[in-house]
Amino acid sequence: MKRFRRFFPGLIAALLACAPTFCQANVPSRITLGIALEPPNLDPSATSAEATQDIVYANVYEGLTRIGEDGTVQPALATHWDISADRLHYRFHLRSGVRFHDGAPFNALDVTFSLDRARRAGSTNPLHDLLAPIRSVSAVDSSTVDIDLSRPCASLLTILGWGNLVVMSPSSASTAAITPVGTGPFRFLTWRKGDAIVLRRNADYWGPAARLEQVTFRIIPDPSAALAALQAGDVDGFSNFPAPEAIDTLSKNPRLSVNIGSTEGETLLAINNARPPFNDIRVRRALAMAVDRRAVIAGAMSGFGTPIGSHFAPHNPDYIDLTGRYPHDIAAARALLAAAGVPEGHTVTLRLPPPTYARRSGEIIAAELQAIGLSVRIENVEWAQWLDQVFTRHDYDLTIVSHTEPMDFDIYSRKNYYFGYHEPAYDALVEKLESTSDPVGRHDLLLAIQRKLADDCVNVFLFELPKLGVWRHDLHGLWREAPLQAIDVTGAYLDGSDNIGADATQRSTGGYRVMVGGALLLGVGMLALRRQLTPRYVVQRLGILGVTLISASLLIFILTTLLPGDVATYMLGVHATPEALASLRESYGLDRSIPRQYAEWLYGMLHGDLGVSYTYRTPVVDLLVERAGVSAPLAALALAGSMVIALLLALIGARFRHRWIDRSIGFATQLGVAIPGFWLGILLISWLAIGQGLFPAGGFPGWASGAVPALAALTLPALSLAIPQGCLLARILRTALDTALDSDYVRTARAKGVGVGRILIRHALPNSLLPTLTVLGMQFAFLLSGAIVVETVFGLPGLGRLLFQATNQRDLIVVRSLTVVIVAAIVVINFVVEVLYRAADPRLRLEHRG
Amino acid sequence: MIRRRIGPDRPIIIIITGVVMALVLLLIGLFVAHPALESGVAIDVGHRLLPPSASHWFGTDALGRDVLSSILLGSRSTLGIAFSAVLLGAGIGVPLGLYSAVRGGVMDEVLTRINDLLFAFPSLILATLFAVVLGPGSGATLLAIAVFNIPVFARVARSLGLVLVRQDFVAAARLAGTAPTGIAIRHLLPNVLPMVMAQGAMQLSLGIVAEAGLSYVGLGVQPPSPSWGRMLGEAQTFFHTAPWLAIFPGLAIALNVLAFILIGDGLRRVFGAKGLSP
Repeated sequence: MKRFRRFFPGLIAALLACAPTFCQANVPSRITLGIALEPPNLDPSATSAEATQDIVYANVYEGLTRIGEDGTVQPALATHWDISADRLHYRFHLRSGVRFHDGAPFNALDVTFSLDRARRAGSTNPLHDLLAPIRSVSAVDSSTVDIDLSRPCASLLTILGWGNLVVMSPSSASTAAITPVGTGPFRFLTWRKGDAIVLRRNADYWGPAARLEQVTFRIIPDPSAALAALQAGDVDGFSNFPAPEAIDTLSKNPRLSVNIGSTEGETLLAINNARPPFNDIRVRRALAMAVDRRAVIAGAMSGFGTPIGSHFAPHNPDYIDLTGRYPHDIAAARALLAAAGVPEGHTVTLRLPPPTYARRSGEIIAAELQAIGLSVRIENVEWAQWLDQVFTRHDYDLTIVSHTEPMDFDIYSRKNYYFGYHEPAYDALVEKLESTSDPVGRHDLLLAIQRKLADDCVNVFLFELPKLGVWRHDLHGLWREAPLQAIDVTGAYLDGSDNIGADATQRSTGGYRVMVGGALLLGVGMLALRRQLTPRYVVQRLGILGVTLISASLLIFILTTLLPGDVATYMLGVHATPEALASLRESYGLDRSIPRQYAEWLYGMLHGDLGVSYTYRTPVVDLLVERAGVSAPLAALALAGSMVIALLLALIGARFRHRWIDRSIGFATQLGVAIPGFWLGILLISWLAIGQGLFPAGGFPGWASGAVPALAALTLPALSLAIPQGCLLARILRTALDTALDSDYVRTARAKGVGVGRILIRHALPNSLLPTLTVLGMQFAFLLSGAIVVETVFGLPGLGRLLFQATNQRDLIVVRSLTVVIVAAIVVINFVVEVLYRAADPRLRLEHRG
Repeated sequence: MIRRRIGPDRPIIIIITGVVMALVLLLIGLFVAHPALESGVAIDVGHRLLPPSASHWFGTDALGRDVLSSILLGSRSTLGIAFSAVLLGAGIGVPLGLYSAVRGGVMDEVLTRINDLLFAFPSLILATLFAVVLGPGSGATLLAIAVFNIPVFARVARSLGLVLVRQDFVAAARLAGTAPTGIAIRHLLPNVLPMVMAQGAMQLSLGIVAEAGLSYVGLGVQPPSPSWGRMLGEAQTFFHTAPWLAIFPGLAIALNVLAFILIGDGLRRVFGAKGLSP
């Protein structure tokens, strides 16, 4: 047992290495806002991801014009503009004295660069198609830009205000995906992957300086974690809160104000018009009559959301209410289906993307369609699959999705759009609108457009997605309405100037400490055991270890190569051109042969290069180290906690052997083993975090914010892992103690008059620890899987969260490398346990293995 | 003074408790086919989020579905997946382990290594990989739990088989010219079966937890099929307004897990074997 005692100083040193330094910064006017989706990258000119717009629009990047909260076009980098009489020539006068965040001065060449980059063939800009009317963009002088059109484009000034057409500098545009450099009142500070994106006030802003010094966007994908974080004060607000059912609870909270506005998100039950039987208008109308919008809004959105009858936002002055066009009527719907020859029980597939509104509406609508005699099969898909199957390949019957771009009714005139709707009369209406500028004419055309879509019943128009803003009552200036996808914090401020937001911002440094700690632990272990391990044994075991690791990597590679869907399409968004996709495949080596891809991957890993993440565009090693800074301490805490629990319970049980206290402990541990850790986590959150306010309910502040907040954030997750695990270990240890207590040497000790406690600690325990430690090593895999789920419960940015995010985003490189690393960790731990066991047990050391 | 050792009557009590619990839960699972329950989980937005009452013992959820009915229906998918996965895992793992034990030599070494390799894949990692390939759903979950179980059963069967192979009756059979396959089927299998069953009960409890965890994070059973794990996941935002949504599905999981742990524990004590993975 002396060997084990020699381990402990090493263990303590390693744990200390993992411990963080204390540094706490209190700076006024900082806020933390929650966001549901992490942006794939921060380059708004290259992605249609809404999450990217949320963060950079108006805050970091500015365009020639901008859209205000009321949806109107306002000057931004252009102070004013002149339009020729034929509306084909626009002259923009640029603001002077503007600088990019990297110090580069802003001038007309930046504008021509940005617009030409968006317009050129092969551009990945989502607005590429809308720029077709532009013939040329030219710099007249350093502060004047001319845009010439080939045909009138009434929406040009609006489009120039959208987030995808912001002005970038040629010198920094190529790195915008990870470090956006704009002209806005906030500059990009850091991006802690999976956790938060931080913006800092730009002191050199050309306009009035932002009143907030710092804004942190914390990524909280899970609606329940969002609620917990908001109630626990971990975040100061949500521009759009993901759980409508909790709005009622939140509005009763005196610390918070609830601000319900509208978005440009028309939520549709989209129909594949090209596919029978939906090419028959009677079938589409039957679907419309089967759906009860009020039930959908009540059930899926807890009553939030305005019913719509066409593809148009209700808050628009040109809106006309067409919700009565197809009244809810099951009998009429059944009659229409029968007339169209659709048999009773005809099976249709409903593909649902991940957002809560889609999944919940889907369940209700499936039930409603079943009521008119259709048999509905629900298929939940991730965004990547949705984009691939539904949007790109049009392989679907029905789907539910919200179209959040403003005035996007032109999608119905696009060729080969996923609705499969082709109607020359409608295309003519849209074309006429583009060349019409007189308000009365436009109004009439917009009404005709809405009516035409409703008459043809292209889709079942469900409701306008609400914007459920919830934030601290002393936080002002955030948008209530959402005329476009943005979280504009440029005008936001806190009452009083000394308020401190919920987050600190230093970069996490936990990662390398963990690695140093691990290496230290291993080194100390090898030193202590050097005499017990023969070279032949070590070489043999290391050989087996190597073969196992390579086989595991091969297995994982083969599995992940079989996957369907197209990663490149997801990365570039839905408007990507084939050229852009091809160049991406080339840069990631996706066009090479499978064996070569594997060989290169393996070769890279041996050099510590795990590849570059598709979606984060960051080396996977960096992501891993960052996330391990959460997962490794969590696992260590859980392991330590379970040992403490096991020792306490087993020793007390053994001390009072076979008495009621022993039996109670036995019963309690039996129950404890049966409780799933993640359920325990949910219960602990509601009791200790929300009920008592003792611990944060979720999220992780980073080690840089100090040891106390970081450890507090890990306490409940570690407890939910440690309690079931500790109960299991306690049972094993208790059994081992029983065996030891009945052995001859204990009887001898008793005969000599040694006290019960002393016998337990000095004689029985050391001999019972060995089997327990072995089990502990074997349990490491279970602990790791448990941690993956528990991280989701608590919204911790650990390896488990990374794995699920990467799975959902189909980030193949991350999934592959992460699974290999986790499996390798388990293999290595098992190896270490086996070696330790052998070294500690002389009988095994002498035995020769075949 | 040495106190009374655990008596032979205790394991029986433990088994009986577990079997009774499991039987009750299984009978409920059969009773589930009753159309009243099917209509209980029909969407009824007018009766959403009702607290537990005489008409809805466990309350209703956000879409107005009866929680008790959902839990009872959910037992079918949870237990169905866990049972099939463990059966599949044992069906492949036990023959592999026995073959390994009888054959010995290089074959044994290779099979053991493959086993060790599979052992390093936790069911959650397997499920993630299968979810990437097959798409999330009960298929990927079942497959992941099954593959996870193969090395567990193979190890149990092999370690018990190795002990049995040295026994006289196996040597006699070998002398009588029985083929290794015959020895494995006729002599080893009946002898390892009790411990395989004990391990199976343990693995069932783990399978239930794995299925619930996967469904909780959204990789497991997909709607509209009710699932305890998913019910828990959906319950979290309602914890303030409707705590019953999170309490009852969790209790259902814990009770099921407990029942199978008790059965496994009891069987293990009755057959008195040691060295099984917990």
